[in-house]
Amino acid sequence: MEGQTAAAPTELGTLKISTLLRKFAVPGIIAQTAASLYNMVDSIYIGHIPDVGPYAISGLAVTFPLMNISIALGTLVGVGAMTMISILLGQKNYGAANKVLSNVLSLNVIIGVVFTVVAIAFLDPILRFFGATDNTLPFARDYMLIILLGNTFTHLLHGFNGIIRSSGHPKTAMGLTLFTVISNAILDPVFIFVFGLGIKGAALATVFCQILALIYTFRFLADKKRFLHFPRPIFQLNWRIAKQSMAIGLGPFLMNLAACLVALFINQQLLRYGGDLAIGSYGIVNRFTMLFVMICMGFNQGLQPIAGYNYGARQYKRVKEIFVLTLKWELLITVLCFLFSELFPEVAVRLFTNDENLVQMASKGLRLMNAGFAIVGVGIVTSNFFQCLGMVKTSIFLSLSRQLIFLLPLIYTLPLLWQETGVWISFPISDVVSAIVSIILVARLFRKFDKLSDGEEPTLLGSSVK
Amino acid sequence: MEKHIIFNIGRQFGSGGKSIANRIGQVLGIPVYDGEILSEAARQSGISPEFFEKQDEKRRSWGIGSIFGANRYASGYSTGSGINDAELFRIQSETIREIASRGNAIFVGRASDYVLRDLDCCVDVFICAPVEARVERIRERLGIDSDEKAAALIEKRDKGRAEYYNFFTQGHWGKSSGYDICIDSSILGIEGTADLIIDFAKRSGKL
Repeated sequence: MEGQTAAAPTELGTLKISTLLRKFAVPGIIAQTAASLYNMVDSIYIGHIPDVGPYAISGLAVTFPLMNISIALGTLVGVGAMTMISILLGQKNYGAANKVLSNVLSLNVIIGVVFTVVAIAFLDPILRFFGATDNTLPFARDYMLIILLGNTFTHLLHGFNGIIRSSGHPKTAMGLTLFTVISNAILDPVFIFVFGLGIKGAALATVFCQILALIYTFRFLADKKRFLHFPRPIFQLNWRIAKQSMAIGLGPFLMNLAACLVALFINQQLLRYGGDLAIGSYGIVNRFTMLFVMICMGFNQGLQPIAGYNYGARQYKRVKEIFVLTLKWELLITVLCFLFSELFPEVAVRLFTNDENLVQMASKGLRLMNAGFAIVGVGIVTSNFFQCLGMVKTSIFLSLSRQLIFLLPLIYTLPLLWQETGVWISFPISDVVSAIVSIILVARLFRKFDKLSDGEEPTLLGSSVK
Repeated sequence: MEKHIIFNIGRQFGSGGKSIANRIGQVLGIPVYDGEILSEAARQSGISPEFFEKQDEKRRSWGIGSIFGANRYASGYSTGSGINDAELFRIQSETIREIASRGNAIFVGRASDYVLRDLDCCVDVFICAPVEARVERIRERLGIDSDEKAAALIEKRDKGRAEYYNFFTQGHWGKSSGYDICIDSSILGIEGTADLIIDFAKRSGKL
């Protein structure tokens, strides 16, 4: 090892930017697309249950905020543990890494079971609060009851899958994700239509596939031949590890919670001005749009190490170059989504439902809501970019701006003038405003970059590092 | 390779650990690495030293700053490259191992005892001292005008070092059983303590 250190990830500083982006973004894009397809599939099948379709899909949409809370709790445990395990594995400290693994198991079981019990105990009032009505409540309840019963398994699967990925087996992790997506797509129609279980069937298929994947992760992580495996006793709870991992997971947790809060307000406003079908429409529009947002998130994952390293290495030209390249790609994605939404809204909507009323309403919603979507790519990439450079406050502000800071006042004021349409047009206005803010912030940053030559310390960036 | 010795010196803030390390280095003719670890790590990785300094022996675990800081911290965890704290620690550890492989060295702090725990030639030392002695040393060294301020600074820095060490190693900073020898530097003074450590190393057969 004389004279050679594994420490230098210098290829990030030397390889061609486009080659790097391809290398780092493609796995992220596949994973994110798979995750959003996973969510879409349930919606698509549920929307086609004969007779009850439109209310079923509204009932499903009502459950989104509750699902968000569940995801948030999963990240609270998972993200930090993943970080800690990869630090410990990097130092070959397998004993401690295994302790963290066991802690993930125990914490997820505790948090998962408590969440399940509390949420089931108050399920009806919670769902009504999130926008369920007498029409949609039965569907929301049927679906959510099963999802909640499987909630602990879901958390464990996501937690372990992340750990498998960050412990040097990204292909296994991706295989597991693809397995759940594909098996769910196959089993959904079997459970819904063949067994005649309706919306319950969709939930059952989801949980069933996750349990299958979870069994595989257990076998994978129980294998003593691997450095990382479950210790004995398998349930260990170490308060210090729990505290450290949750401190890391707190940021992502709060961001997910904010997403839940926003979904809640949107549902309530849609219900007030447009009724059950408006919520169902939003569910469809959201699922469709999310596919494109998630692809952008995949590009973001590729941007992170490249921008981070080159900023750290003071190669400002390369930092700018990677930003511009990622921006182009993400803009292409959001422009595609915009064009599809404006030109063929019905084609997109009919994937999710046959009901004519719902098709009309959701198509209108899709057109209005995504009217400003062409430039959303700017906001998504910029917020992530600031995060890569360690300018966390700017990053948080930007990511909250589109979904919360600009959106909330609009969805509470515009409907006073234009009712349901007012709710829908809040989205493009907020998208455009936050894109403009992003452009201003990033332009200011780049003006400062232009004054710096490569290698120079960025004292004039001020807030960047401190 | 000929006989080879590494001293890993952990220390409470204000206990004189750095001075003791320098004294040992002077007597034995061994290079001492303190902040030098950081600049070396920066040089090898191509990342600006500023990032290593910012992260150096500090970890904020709770509080508003850390809630948002946590995002920065976690970013890039899955790809294993970038400028997050975990990656900086990894690079720094590689640098410590690389320096240790080159020959004799004295490391001050940066969890080097943990990073080099598989090497047999290490002498792991922890230097402590009563608060009064540390307050006096800190006031003198940094020109602080009150005992309270110095004591508050000591508490803060020790907490930072403990959190840093405990987070990255999952061990226990300053716990006697984790070291070969723990000494209160206020009893024998800088030179006396250094001599004692050298004597300890000789008797242990590592020097």
